[in-house]
Amino acid sequence: MIVREVEVTNKAGLHMRPAAQIVQTAGKYDSQITLEKDCRKANAKSIMDVVAMGIKKGTVITIRAEGDDEKEAVDALVNLIMGNFDEE
Amino acid sequence: MVGIVLVSHSEKIAMGAQELIEQMTKGSVPLEVAGGTSDARLGTDVNLIMEKIEKVYSPSGVLVIVDLGSAVMSAQMAIESMEEEKRKNVIIADAPFLEGAISAVMESSFGKGLEEVKSAAEAAKNLNKL
Repeated sequence: MIVREVEVTNKAGLHMRPAAQIVQTAGKYDSQITLEKDCRKANAKSIMDVVAMGIKKGTVITIRAEGDDEKEAVDALVNLIMGNFDEE
Repeated sequence: MVGIVLVSHSEKIAMGAQELIEQMTKGSVPLEVAGGTSDARLGTDVNLIMEKIEKVYSPSGVLVIVDLGSAVMSAQMAIESMEEEKRKNVIIADAPFLEGAISAVMESSFGKGLEEVKSAAEAAKNLNKL
């Protein structure tokens, strides 16, 4: 299992479009992937789960992946979030 | 890829949902809407629904998502009037309209099968907003 923490730094946080990008990225991997914030946990492949977490700018989230491609999956998600989803 | 058809009593609701979804998924999934009647009134239209299902149809199947109860009947009639061979690949989801549609399109964009896309749409029913 791979666990990484990452801070969400894009201006709007994980609203619809960034959340969709997370889910689409996660969907490319076979591993089980979750996002966690405090006690809430979301399946990173479920758009409604990710949106419902209501993650704002400045929040540190934990990405957890388990499976054959866990490393690639976590790297891809961390890069996406750290790159601010190519927005502000 | 599983095609998705959104059936709403209102063309504006259907088109608004389509606009939101396409912005999220960049149009990677076959998605059509059947909103309102063919004479631009509120309601659902069996022929329009059938036409839209045909438009996104592939052997991977089509998931139909409806807004209010009576749209179910129109969607069922539309499916029944299709060729038998295609009919078995077209199903209606028991899902909330917008949340279900977004979930279904996302799941389809992963290349998942019809049953999985339907389950993703229906899972949106159990979602708490607060």
